[in-house]
This record gives sequence, C-alpha cells and structure tokens, in this order.
Amino acid sequence: MAPAIVQNISSRLHRMSQSAADKENYTQREDEKTKLAEWEAEKRTLEPNEVAQSPDEKPVGHSSKYLRREDFDLIKTLGTGTFARVWLAKIANRKEKDNNKVFALKILRKVDVIRLKQVEHVRNERNVLASVAGHPFITTMVASFQDSDTLYMLLDYCPGGEVFSYLRRARRFNEATSQFYAAEIVLILEFLHDRQGVAYRDLKPENILIDADGHLKLVDFGFAKKVDNSKNIFGAVLNFDADTKTGETYTLCGTPEYLAPEVIRNTGHGTAVDWWAFGILIYEFLVGQPPFWDQNPMKIYEQIVEGKVRYPSAMSQDARDIIGGLCTVDVSKRLGNVKGGSATVKAHPWFKNIDWDAVYHRRMQGPIVPHLKSADDTRNFDEYDAEPVHRDPYTKELQSKYDQSFADF
Amino acid sequence: MSLPSEYLNERNALEREILKHRPSDVLQFSYNHFSKRLESQRQEFILGQRHSSESGTGLSNPFGGTSAPSNKKVMNSTIREEEEHDDFASPTATSFPPNARDNSNNMASNSSGGGGFGNFGNFGFSPSSGSSSNPPPAASSGAMEHPQSFPNNYNMNRRTSVSAESLAPTSADDSNWKAPQYPKTADQVNRLRDAVAHNFLFSHLDDDQTAQVLGALQERKLPTKDMRVITQGEEGDYFYVVEQGQFDIYVSKSGKVEPGADGMGNKVATNGPGTSFGELALMYNAPRAATVVSTEPSVLWQLDRVTFRRILMDSAFQRRRMYESFLEEVPLFSSLSNYERSKIADALETTKYPAQTPIIREGDVGDKFYILESGEAEVTKRGEAKPLKHYGKGDYFGELALLEDKPRFASVTSTTEVKVATLGKDGFQRLLGPVESIMRRDDPRKNEKK
Ligand SMILES: Nc1ncnc2c1ncn2[C@@H]1O[C@H](COP(=O)(O)OP(=O)(O)O)[C@@H](O)[C@H]1O
Ligand SMILES: [Mg+2]
Repeated sequence: MAPAIVQNISSRLHRMSQSAADKENYTQREDEKTKLAEWEAEKRTLEPNEVAQSPDEKPVGHSSKYLRREDFDLIKTLGTGTFARVWLAKIANRKEKDNNKVFALKILRKVDVIRLKQVEHVRNERNVLASVAGHPFITTMVASFQDSDTLYMLLDYCPGGEVFSYLRRARRFNEATSQFYAAEIVLILEFLHDRQGVAYRDLKPENILIDADGHLKLVDFGFAKKVDNSKNIFGAVLNFDADTKTGETYTLCGTPEYLAPEVIRNTGHGTAVDWWAFGILIYEFLVGQPPFWDQNPMKIYEQIVEGKVRYPSAMSQDARDIIGGLCTVDVSKRLGNVKGGSATVKAHPWFKNIDWDAVYHRRMQGPIVPHLKSADDTRNFDEYDAEPVHRDPYTKELQSKYDQSFADF
Repeated sequence: MSLPSEYLNERNALEREILKHRPSDVLQFSYNHFSKRLESQRQEFILGQRHSSESGTGLSNPFGGTSAPSNKKVMNSTIREEEEHDDFASPTATSFPPNARDNSNNMASNSSGGGGFGNFGNFGFSPSSGSSSNPPPAASSGAMEHPQSFPNNYNMNRRTSVSAESLAPTSADDSNWKAPQYPKTADQVNRLRDAVAHNFLFSHLDDDQTAQVLGALQERKLPTKDMRVITQGEEGDYFYVVEQGQFDIYVSKSGKVEPGADGMGNKVATNGPGTSFGELALMYNAPRAATVVSTEPSVLWQLDRVTFRRILMDSAFQRRRMYESFLEEVPLFSSLSNYERSKIADALETTKYPAQTPIIREGDVGDKFYILESGEAEVTKRGEAKPLKHYGKGDYFGELALLEDKPRFASVTSTTEVKVATLGKDGFQRLLGPVESIMRRDDPRKNEKK
C-alpha cells in the first residue's frame, strides 16, 4: 500500500496549492465522490426505457469536469487488454464507511491511443458506454474524465473475473451453463442492435465478466460503434459505418478467431458480425476452443471465409443448429440478421427452456457465483506485470493535433 | 471492533437481493438465499479440487489465475488432453498433428513471441504453383474433408484484438480516389494472376477487382544480394510476389531478429519466382513472423494494405450503390424504406449469362426477380415475329413472380453477354416478410380510391 500513501500525500499537497477557483471545484469534486459512493452501495440497474434516457438525466455515464486521478487510490491491476490497463480503485481519502466501495478504473494513455490509431475508437467507446449505462448485463460506466495526458473510465467492478478464466479452467461448459450465459448475451445483443443501433464487434470470453451475483457483464466497448439503421445509405446489414459526409469510416477490427467473413473480405459490415461471433462463442463454450483455428492466422481466415463448421459427435442437434444458423457466411441468411432479428434467435429450440423475462430481471441463478472475502477481493483476477516505467511523452505537438478529439471525453 | 469484511460482503449481497425481490417472508427468503450461496460455493470448491488435483498445483483459489498475458506464470493444468468421460470429444481428438502433444505442455512459451500465434505460422509464405521444393499448402477444400487440418494444440492464452486503419468509403460525390495502376506486360499480369490464384484473399475477387489489384502491384528492385525485404517482429504493411531472383527465409525463436551473426535464426525455406509472402499485412499490421533476405539481385511486386482494402471496399460499396439505385426505379419496391431496399440490395445474387441464352422462359412458373446489371437482352413471345422490348443496364423484369405464382408471360433472352442480379421469393420473405403484406402498404389501387 506504500505507493497509495505516497499518492495520498502528494494529492493533499497538490490540493493545498490550489487557487480560489479550484476550491470551488473542490466542493464539486467532493460532491461527486459522495454520489459515487452512494451509487456503488446499490448499483441499481435500470429498466430498458431508463437506460435509453440521455446521459444527462441518468445517474450514471456522464463526463465529469471535476473528478481527477487523485480522487482514487489504485489498489491492483485487474487486467491489461489490448490498449488499456484496468485497476481496482477506491475513493481516495474515503470515510471509513466507504472502505468497501470499489470501482474498476480503465486508464488509457493518450499517446498510446494515438500510436495505436484508436482515437476514433476510444471516443466511440466512451459515447456508447454512456448511452448504454444502466443495462443489467453491460458494465456500467459511472463517469469518465481526463487529465492532460490520460483518459479515465470509471466502471463498476465485476469481482467474478472473466468468463474466459472459468472456461479455460473448466475446459468447457455443459449445455445448461452455456445456455444460461448465451441467453444473457442474446439480451445484450438485442439491446445493442435494436435499441441502440450499436455493433459491438469484439465478442469473446475475455470481454465477458461475472458480477457479484453471478450474472454477466460485457466490458470493453473499444470497438463498439453506432450504425444508424434507419437513415443510412449503406443499410444495416452491410454497413460501412453510417454517413460518409460526417467523415465516418470503416475499420477491420475484432479478434482473429471471432472475425466474421464479411470483415475479412472487407465488403462492409454491421450488426450481423456480432451474431457470427455469438455462434463462435457458443461453440467455444461447448467445445473448449473456437471452430476455426490454425497456427497461421491466414489459415484461420481462409477457414472462416469457407465457413464450414465441424461439430464434435456428441454435440446436441439443437446446439449444432443454432451455431450453424449464426455462423452462416451469407449475411442475408444469418440467424439474428434475417427478418425478426434477435427474436428469431430467442425463439430457437436451443433456448426452449429459457424464460426471457426472468433472464432480463436477473431472476435466474447463475451457475457460478463468486465467493468473495470482501468487496475488494481480487482472487478471480490474474497477476499482471507492473506498468512499464518508461512512457512516451504526450508532446506539445501531439497535444495541439489531438486534444480537440478528446475534448468531450 | 469492526465486523469482518467477509460478513459485511455477505450481508450486502443479501440486502441487494432483498431490495430487489422485496420478499414478504424475510426469514425464509434469507434462509433460501444462504442455502443457495452455500450450495454454489461447494460446487465451486469441488470443481476447483478436481482441477487442482489434476494439475498438482494446489491453488487456494479454485478459479483465479489461468494465464497472465505477461507469460510469467505458466498455465496451470487446463490444457490436458481429453478426459475420458468428457461429454464432448474435441474436434481434434481423433487426429494429432505430429507435434501437438509437445506443444500442449508449453503453451505459454509457445505464444510468447507475440500475437498469440506460433511464430512461423504468422508469416504465411506460399510456394509457387510450379515449384516442387515446397509442399503445396493444403488446398482450401474445407476442414470437413481434412480432419488433420484441425490442430489440437489450441493456444489457450488470452487473445488480443486486432484492428487496421480506418477507411472512409469513397462516396459517389467525392470519388477522387482511384487505385494506382502500374504498367505491366500481359505476361507479367498472367504470372501475377497465377501467383495469387491459390490465395483466398484473391480467389474471391471478381474480374474487375482482380484487374484493379493486379494493376496496383508495384515493382520493387533489389539490386544486390543480402537485402532484407521484411524483418521478423517488425510491423508489416506490404504483401510481396517474387518476379525474379531468390529469397531466403529465416525464423528466430524469440519472435524477432536478435543482435549478432545468427540473429535472424534458422533458415527455413528458399523462395523463387512465383512465390509470395507477407499476406497477413493485407489484413492489419501484425508483427512479421519471419525475415526474408535476397540471395541475388531480384525483383518483387508489392502491394500495400490500404490500397488493397480500399479496392475491396470501394467496389463492394459501388455495387451496393448501383443495386440501390436500380431498386429505387422499381415501382413494386416504391413503398419500401431505404433500409429495406438496402437489405434487398444485400441479398441480390449476381449471375452471368453468355449471349443468346434464355434467362426467363415463357410459360415457366417464375419465382425470381431480375435486374440487368450489364449487357443487353430482349423480350420475345411465341407467335410474335419481333421482340416486344429491349432491355439494357438497370432494367428489371420478372418482379411479379414475387407476388404471384403465374407462368411467365414472355421469354427474356440475352443478346450480349449479360450480368444479372437476382432475388428469389424465398430470399425476399426471409429478409422482409411476406411480399404481399409489404406491397399492400402502398397498393396503387388504394391510393386511387382516395
Ligand atoms: N469493470 C471491470 N471489472 C473488473 N475487471 C475489469 C473490468 N473492466 C475490465 N476489466 C479487466 O480488464 C481487462 C481489460 O479491459 P478491457 O476493457 O478489455 O481493455 P482493452 O480495451 O485494453 O482490451 C478485461 O479483460 C478484464 O479482465
Ligand atoms: Mg479487451
């Protein structure tokens, strides 16, 4: 904990040197911190129509002008993804009663974001997370903020860890477990596609977390993107990312084993890519590895474009049928993307035992409920190397070129 | 003084449940809650026991810690071979590639080279069709017939995401981007065509796209031997085809070129004219999986990712635009929204007919609708000496077949080579529902009455 103490002291020193204007901000900050703690106590998820409200009216998802890095103690690294580091965080200088209030703080360095060409993606991530905040199966972004060289997203902490860890440990899930998790994911995709017009584009077990009650939370909206179905000129099924006039663009992105054929072939893509990936995910749940794999990624892509899924002999007919329907190369025939959309997936026989209303309202008991010693227990997360000391500086030059793009973060 | 945190945690969980369910019988509810907690904890514990006893690493935590991306921690246990009583056989259980068993024991080190893939595999060089020095790659005939192409040594580590640069489709109004065209002899074009023919990234292209892609390949001369074309571990933006000369391919176990004389690692192959390498760079900029060095003065053709993907994207985009504008002209579809029309545009299938081929036959029961994409056709009817009509680009026919199962009223025959885009009744219904109900929204007769 030594570093945390040092941070506290330095943040106190920092505060003492603040001007009058900053003192006013100080009260605002304290105010925000109190609200954070209050929200954490209940972590109330919202009904679909509440989620749809604008972020200004919701209790969560706003861009904070007052919060700072110094308002949090970073306890431990929970994960390092492709672009970011995520920390278990507590409110700094907290009152005793707020000791068990925990968050996950996703930290992105602006230099890295620029170097990895993720500027547009990070903006999408923040905006999508803000507009979906409150959904029962999506990690809630409580607030976002930034300082001169870093972007922060404050998320609710999902203490169960990644579904990935459980899956690798168990080797594979049985059919009931797979159905339970798949059902929650169907509701996520239904919500993202039909209510939000968002394609998620990076579905995989690494990005699916388990919360304290054993339910799923989707994290990492780094590739999520609004694809306006109603008025765009390219259509939703095959979407080049909405309106070209506003300078919107198209990107190959995702995870090799989960890429849809239309992404590989660069013929334009939309929400249908998530249904493809969902088929791969069910397969990986049931079998323990995805259907298309090779040491050489080009060979994976060749298999994907070919689209022939091979099933283990013991797999049930219904499971084969739903995977086959989802992993259909022709998007106009892909389950989930045909007339009826997500409803056709929900109506599939593989889900015949699922009560969808009970799923949404979290009335079903999950197969894995994490047992924690305390709210800040991180036993379900791996150990990660410390952050490298050397960091490329966010130069004045970069600043003048890019700060505009981060302005509303 | 203070209550144990574990207790506080359990209490909070119960309180959340109570707030959510607002039970009338609090005591019974709490009892049930804790009994469920106990049950699931036992299950977790038992599952953890089984796995940790298998692995011999008695972890206190039954679930945590599979593999850290740092690769410091060696995977514990999960990559065992199939347990006998498993419900599912692995898709690969029947066939082990020669090295699979070994690999499964050191998965962590296997992936340390980056990208989470084996080293050499990442590189994907392909032998020329004529050369016998390298075995031809397994044809892309699909895994079904080739069970051995399913590797058992699946990499169990976390997978990282990939992403390429953003491209904005060249829209019709500001279409100033054109694929670069570098002049080539007919011979060179043919050789290039052969060289990329077996590569799935190219074999799916239509004639137009192929012509653009081949045209965009640019000559690169390597005047001496010992010139490095690509370097293992570095990011790659180009794909190459060998026109002339010879190249040695080296792979270093560490995933990148090390300092010193043997820093490039072992020589694994020599490639000559007609071979190609570096194709993964056409997808995104992953680190190169091998080093390629000229062994004599040589000539390459190179193509960069952005140009390649742009060609694919723009042509797909232009085709959509074309279909959508054709569809707008069809009165039957006038009641559809843009969104619905673009869904149809998506599902259209292209077919080619040589000149003088019947496309629709009078009297047949039709179930398809056609748009003439290019070429010309004529309409004839038995008993009529002259054609009733001529069709050109953008004309459509057979649309009534979507509505009713009547025999075709006349025949349509191609007069030149034609390309038609078609959509069947079933395809239409799959996308938009029953045709009749869609059409009824805007039945012209209904409007007349008003
Ligand atoms: N809300 C959260 N609670 C707990 N752990 C999290 C949370 N969000 C992310 N993580 C952990 O951090 C990892 C990386 O986060 P992610 O958002 O996927 O970053 P990246 O965009 O870099 O891939 C995740 O895989 C997960 O293990
Ligand atoms: Mg991630």
